[in-house]
Amino acid sequence: MTTHARTEPGRRGVLAAGGALALASSGLLTGCGADGTDGGGGDRFRAAFTAGGSQETLDPHVAPNFVDQARAKALYDTLGTYADDMSVRERLAESWESDASGTRWRIRLRAAEFHDGKPVTAKDVLYSYRRAADPDTGSPSQVLLSAIDFEASKADGERSVVFTLKAPNFEFPTVFAGPGTEIIPDGTTDFGKPVGSGPFTYVSFTPGGTARYRRWADHWDGAPHIAELEIVPANEESARLNALLSGQVHYAADMAGASVNRLKAEGSTRLLTVKRATAQQLLLRIGRKPFDDPRLVRAVQLGLDRQALVRVALAGHGEPGNDLFGMGLRGYPDGLEPRERDVEEARKLVRQAGANGLKITVETSSVDAAWEPAADLMAQQLREVGLRLTANTRAASTYFSEIKTTGVAAFNTSSTLPVSDFLQQRVRGGAARNQTQYASKRFDALLERARTTRDERDRLALLARAQKLARDGSGLLVWAFSDANDAIRTSVRGLRAAPPNSHDWARFDRVRIG
Amino acid sequence: MRAYVLRRLLLAVLQCLVVLVAVFAVGSLLPGDTADVLRGELGTPEQVAALRTQLGLDEPAWARFGHWLGDLLTGDLGNSLTTGVPVGDDIGRRVGVTLLLGVPALVLVTVLAPLLGTVSGLREGSRLDRTLNTAAVVLHAVPEFVLGLLLVASVSLAAGLLPATAVGMDTAALLAQPSVLVLPVTVLTARHLCDLARQIRAGVAAERHGPVAEHLRLLGMRERTVVLRHVLPGALGPAAQQFARCVEGLLGGAVLVEAVFGFRGLGSGFVEAVQNRDMPQVQTYALLFAGTAIVVNLLGDLAAHRLAPRRELTA
Repeated sequence: MTTHARTEPGRRGVLAAGGALALASSGLLTGCGADGTDGGGGDRFRAAFTAGGSQETLDPHVAPNFVDQARAKALYDTLGTYADDMSVRERLAESWESDASGTRWRIRLRAAEFHDGKPVTAKDVLYSYRRAADPDTGSPSQVLLSAIDFEASKADGERSVVFTLKAPNFEFPTVFAGPGTEIIPDGTTDFGKPVGSGPFTYVSFTPGGTARYRRWADHWDGAPHIAELEIVPANEESARLNALLSGQVHYAADMAGASVNRLKAEGSTRLLTVKRATAQQLLLRIGRKPFDDPRLVRAVQLGLDRQALVRVALAGHGEPGNDLFGMGLRGYPDGLEPRERDVEEARKLVRQAGANGLKITVETSSVDAAWEPAADLMAQQLREVGLRLTANTRAASTYFSEIKTTGVAAFNTSSTLPVSDFLQQRVRGGAARNQTQYASKRFDALLERARTTRDERDRLALLARAQKLARDGSGLLVWAFSDANDAIRTSVRGLRAAPPNSHDWARFDRVRIG
Repeated sequence: MRAYVLRRLLLAVLQCLVVLVAVFAVGSLLPGDTADVLRGELGTPEQVAALRTQLGLDEPAWARFGHWLGDLLTGDLGNSLTTGVPVGDDIGRRVGVTLLLGVPALVLVTVLAPLLGTVSGLREGSRLDRTLNTAAVVLHAVPEFVLGLLLVASVSLAAGLLPATAVGMDTAALLAQPSVLVLPVTVLTARHLCDLARQIRAGVAAERHGPVAEHLRLLGMRERTVVLRHVLPGALGPAAQQFARCVEGLLGGAVLVEAVFGFRGLGSGFVEAVQNRDMPQVQTYALLFAGTAIVVNLLGDLAAHRLAPRRELTA
């Protein structure tokens, strides 16, 4: 899954398999699409997303799905925001600086107001962060926020906050842009009529249904160009596609497979394709047999043909991975040789480990359409090195909770997020979401040194060294990066392809129609 | 007759109970529970365990079922595990959508099926009959979602005649723009119309050549009267039971049609409840669907009996 936000697995829709076929035929039938009848008329912008159903709320600190993030962006602001490479930029925070140890951080807030006219103050920031740091709230950024010592943190005037951390951390600013860290007014507990400081004000919302917003003229970053925003649920990809093609919506999130090909041939719409949006991973649990033998981990690394996997499982919509998360992001090590397939060496390692003909089960699910074809192809590829891989398909909505504890190998995905974050939460020894059970003292020490190193270049060099270790030993194999696609009507201006979790993704306050 | 109805109603309660037990048992066999779904990958085992306790999911399955059933007897359907609000709230919002799709389809089927079936059956083997029959067979072979997507592609996208989806529309919006309903209702109607019209056609054809009809003709009864008095009731009798199945299908939510057109009706609600392992909600849906099925089938049997009294009523 994507670490921060994700499209909820079970919501992929009931048509998943047959839909492609029918879409292909619908493409044949319609040489041209509907002409530019843009839904709603005037400047009401409608965006269709896969939604989370009846348990949805407008509480921005509970943001399990991408649609929650899109809604939160409309109503609220965060202190910082992620650039495309996941470095942090200022947003509600005008600036930040740490003391020499990286333990005390001073954040200065810009002049901004909530929709009810009250100013955004240090108190609101402290309240919001304290609330999101509470494990009971369920914020995706809870682990990052738990690094703050709230007893020792305080407001210093109306527009200045001093955070004291439990331990030094020069990568602390990544939290400012984390999903689920939105600033809400001090004391907010009810989100029935939510008040934020974002570019749109609340009009109406029903869980699982449409969310309506109105332009807020007093936003510090300038008023949105559109008068109204509607975020509408459409869990079936074909419904989102048809709504877009017919002009009922201006934006359709998460297009894949046959829809992408259909949209490419379409004059009235435009695809927003983000390269390397999703890191496709194979997790080998090295804390358990048989992958506690590093020779077998190496054998799998050498036995996979990543080019073929991209061609087949991703239908060419992606690029081979190099067994590391974060290609193209800030902090990804430079100059790594691609991992070449070496069947002979892999076979030798399998034999040395006495594992020739060993049966291995890999956990998979329909959560991501690429997994099942990937599992089939990997089984073929690994048979050549002497391993017999079989896939065990699990139910989508409980897949991630099940693979936390069961199995020896599993598929997983992450969307873009800061590299240091990923390493802290997924690879560090003992981390709650370290599913491969990698526990390397050297890796952890490098990560720790990086965290406490003030100079950014030194820090990134340490992170690079840590990643090279993890690449070989962690059991977390990034076999590919897949593209993500959203689509818009050609009449829409002011939106570009931007990575998930980044500032410009689903940012509708800069949008114009016509 | 009254004893029969009473017996059937008593049986219906038993049937509902059996369905509920079966649904609960199957639901308990699904991997994971609501705590797993809600916490997902983010939750630590401790958090999941705490949530499980909070939701009462740590109790044995039979105890949870007992609680739910006990509350049901007092008219309380329980609260959704995922949202904490009464399950009736969400289902109530969805019933309107399902009725907006189901009722027009039902009316169309009720009018068109006897009409087409009778015309076809009376002209058995004629060009009209063969055309209708072929159309019915072809239409029947096309899966609902494919038919839906084909209609959207041709009628909405290519010709621009009707709205393509109901994305973002609630019951009020649908009422304000009923043209949205045309395509999905067409798809729903097509499926059930084919089933029913073909059955009526077969019945009409069989009754028309049956010994009773021949006998009536020999007695000098006019063909018109033979058809109206004997052939039609004879053919519609068995069809009433098929019709009941059709009502049951249309009011039970149409998962595929809802998905293709982006409706939020009972079908998608049920799927969502199962995905969330939200058993109070799943159970309520099961009760609703089973209840509808049982009542409608009972009415179907009674109607069949009315139309063709020689058929025996067996409970």
